[in-house]
Amino acid sequence: MGRYVLRRLLESAVTLVLVTIVVFIGIRALPGDPARALGGEESDPATIAAIRHEYGLDQPVPVQYARYVGKAMQGDLGESARTGLPVAATIGHALPVTLQLALFAMAIAIFIGISAGVVAAVRRRTAAEWAANSVALIGLSVPNFWFGLMAVLVFAIAYPILPASGFVSVFDDPVESFRHLLMPAVVLGTGLAAIIMRQTRSAMLEALNADYVRTARAKGLGGGQVVLGHALRNSLIVVTTIVGLQLGALISGAVVTEQIFVLPGFGKLTIDAVFTRDYPMIQGVVLVTATAYIGINLLVDLLYSVIDPRIRVGGLKL
Amino acid sequence: MTTVELVDAALPTAAPVGSRRRAWRRVLRNPLAVMGLFVVVVSVLAALLANVVAPTPYDHTDFSAFLQPPSPAHWFGTDQLGRDQFSRVLFGLRASVIVGAMSVALSLAIGVPLGLLAGFYGWLDPLVSRLADTMLAFPFLVLAVGLAVILGPSLTTAIVAIGVAQIPAVIRVTRGETLRLRAMDYVAAAVADGASDAVVLGRHILPNAINALIVQATVAVPAAIIGEAVLSFLGLGVRPPTPSLGIMLASAQADFRDGPWLAVFPGVSIVLLTLALNLLGDGLRDALDPREVRR
Repeated sequence: MGRYVLRRLLESAVTLVLVTIVVFIGIRALPGDPARALGGEESDPATIAAIRHEYGLDQPVPVQYARYVGKAMQGDLGESARTGLPVAATIGHALPVTLQLALFAMAIAIFIGISAGVVAAVRRRTAAEWAANSVALIGLSVPNFWFGLMAVLVFAIAYPILPASGFVSVFDDPVESFRHLLMPAVVLGTGLAAIIMRQTRSAMLEALNADYVRTARAKGLGGGQVVLGHALRNSLIVVTTIVGLQLGALISGAVVTEQIFVLPGFGKLTIDAVFTRDYPMIQGVVLVTATAYIGINLLVDLLYSVIDPRIRVGGLKL
Repeated sequence: MTTVELVDAALPTAAPVGSRRRAWRRVLRNPLAVMGLFVVVVSVLAALLANVVAPTPYDHTDFSAFLQPPSPAHWFGTDQLGRDQFSRVLFGLRASVIVGAMSVALSLAIGVPLGLLAGFYGWLDPLVSRLADTMLAFPFLVLAVGLAVILGPSLTTAIVAIGVAQIPAVIRVTRGETLRLRAMDYVAAAVADGASDAVVLGRHILPNAINALIVQATVAVPAAIIGEAVLSFLGLGVRPPTPSLGIMLASAQADFRDGPWLAVFPGVSIVLLTLALNLLGDGLRDALDPREVRR
């Protein structure tokens, strides 16, 4: 167990270092001169040189990289080229918006996905299974940005019952927050719900055919108890992993969703930074995303190895 | 020498071809998959023959008929500049089809060799796997957005961005299959027979890994089509005046109240195409993967 944890920790560390190098080099491969972008198109060569010096852009690239990593480890991601505010603080402001959106979407996805998956597995060859499968297929085929546009068209313009844009924190006004986040969260959650539904369904089908379920039935346990207490409980292991691994999809989805519903979150920050060529901000946003993603993957892997000991036996590589 | 050749001929390399033909027959017996196949074929033909099939060129403006709702003259209505939306959807589908096919081809062209090498040569595995992990550490859209910014928005950018983002999944699938197949007796027999690494990889491992790659592609193509629409919607993919379903949806936002149909038809087209691809993909997966059939 200890060796497995150590190996995964090392692998994650290597990946993280590679990520910082990719981000660092990637930013430098972008068209346009960051010093000119900072100083404005009109600035004279002396100002540009001063900006270069101030940001260390006149130093050799490896030195720039070392400085960048050193600062990042202390939580200093530099200042936004557009607003002049610290990148870390700006990200800190945007994250709660995205987290509230993502958690709400995740809750919707898990609720719909698991209940539909259980119904589809238990009520095989009925209208209920057919309906659940169709909804999952549509959930996977409808791009969430178009679903978002249609939702705005119907619930904000044709029948104005929900606001089309804006954000209210759940800590300021829970009711208004719910009204503002309902549409974006449903839009963001449906794709995930479809994936969870399919995983739950196939895990449940496998579990329902397993020997321990037959034993439970033979012992005289009721149908509901077998389904929920035995089969679903074991299916949840698989579902937990999927939920963890879908974090990246959720972040990608949040970028688009926040763009449509004009939510001042992490995704909107990313797109705005890209369009204004705010290099320090892009660097910070990508670094935070990648770090979070690597961390979650590590956590999921470790949790999984605790649940299923076969994973940490070296021979089984998935 | 002759005995060696006899052994060689007896190696079961022809097996996957026969099983693939059976798989096709199984797909054609699945009504949903056949429906999907039909919609995919019609969409691809309509997209590729758009300049023959479409009632008007995609940039034909008619200021006497702007923002017209759907009618017999304009099936999908017209936009702010009086352009026929049906024609523009057909030309937009062309971008979807091109990006869908080319980006998946790109990811296979790079990912398959890397996956084969990583699975076959143990010493290369950590290197390739860390590379794949690094790419996976960027959520698809973040990676695609970054590449789109470096390369500048265009159709090629969309292809490269989506193709590159899909490489890690291809590497993982190919690597996994190679690891599995390398342990098979018939591969050991081929090695014992003196077959070179290239022959083992190209004749004995790759043909048997293709089923898994087809399954992977059935997921990747619809994802690439949606990816193109998203990138173009955000202004990072295809640029106007070239029509793309994503661009049409982005510009429809300005006329939500006066022309809601502008946001409906391009979206419905994407949904129909990806739905059809998913149905076809599900059919192929069931036909190719015996484990799925049991369920």
